[in-house]
Amino acid sequence: MLEIKNLKAQIEDKTILNGVNLKVNKGEVHAIMGPNGSGKSTLSSVIAGNEDYEVSSGSITYEGDDLLEMAPEERSHRGVFLSFQYPVEIPGLSVSNFIKTAINEKRKAFGQENISAKELLQLFKEKCELLNIDKGYLSRSLNEGFSGGEKKRNEIFQMAMMEPKLSILDETDSGLDIDALKIVANGVNSLKSSSNSIILITHYQRLLNYIVPDFVHILKDGKIVMSGDKSLAQKLEKEGYNFLN
Amino acid sequence: MVHLGENSKSTIIAKGICAGKSNGSYRGLVKIAKGAKNSRNFSQCDSLLMGDKCGSHTFPYIEVDNKSSQVEHEATTSKIGEDQIFYCNQRGIGTEEAVALIVNGYCKEVLNKLPMEFAVEAKKLLEISLEGSVG
Repeated sequence: MLEIKNLKAQIEDKTILNGVNLKVNKGEVHAIMGPNGSGKSTLSSVIAGNEDYEVSSGSITYEGDDLLEMAPEERSHRGVFLSFQYPVEIPGLSVSNFIKTAINEKRKAFGQENISAKELLQLFKEKCELLNIDKGYLSRSLNEGFSGGEKKRNEIFQMAMMEPKLSILDETDSGLDIDALKIVANGVNSLKSSSNSIILITHYQRLLNYIVPDFVHILKDGKIVMSGDKSLAQKLEKEGYNFLN
Repeated sequence: MVHLGENSKSTIIAKGICAGKSNGSYRGLVKIAKGAKNSRNFSQCDSLLMGDKCGSHTFPYIEVDNKSSQVEHEATTSKIGEDQIFYCNQRGIGTEEAVALIVNGYCKEVLNKLPMEFAVEAKKLLEISLEGSVG
């Protein structure tokens, strides 16, 4: 589904990714861990198409096509979803209107009709129950005045509504208390299927107790320095990043 | 806004949008007459800037002739952030559409107060006049 080859990226002359290789197949869950400043968020931004970052070499192939050639909205239409580490506030724009627009833009890209009000309401109801969200929240301004946990839950709610093929969760666990973490993890687990893939970016092993990864990668100084199964995350938790040296 | 009666209250919400090389100014007089005891006014002037060559200015004129009245004035300036646009892009919403959503959200407080037919018209008008203003 996704293949990253020797990816190098920089922001304003500062090289952050220094040759990343990663292959994600359908149905797999990959966790990317690493110390602060190792390039985890840069990697997710580059996959989503944030223009602040310049790709200097390497390639990203998504479903056989060159992902770097696509505009950010096209990547989204094709099923790439990024759950933001710091979701952005848009005052006056309701959560429901935002999600409706997003769904319709995607449908438009594939020449489909807009979603009907009935279908949309049904979907809202279903996904609100899944993530234990009060319906009143749909009419609130997007992320405005949301607590840290609400913002993160809102990201996963959007993920549930948009049914992406490749989801990147950038530190979705940070700022969540233990109950919210369980709800979010359950939500993610129920969205997981054999046809979609998930990349989890996290600092802590805690999240991986709930969403069990097939692979764990350690990113350090802009490179994946070690890969393994979930036991690697446990080892990391015990010994810290020092054992890499 | 002229206050003449006792205990009279008023609110002014002004929203300006400046794109390209435009400059917007708000000038508003709030006058409280001698007899308008205990009257209150609240004014809020917001402006939204698109691009880095435009500007916005607020000139409130306040004339108060009695001591029991309260007059408040607030002004804010905000910009459509690249991070807001990227957030919309990531959800599959193109840049033009994203700007329309952000601008409409910003105007909502005012549009909500308009009669239905008028609000629809105003919304369309905003979309037309902002077409191509993102570059």
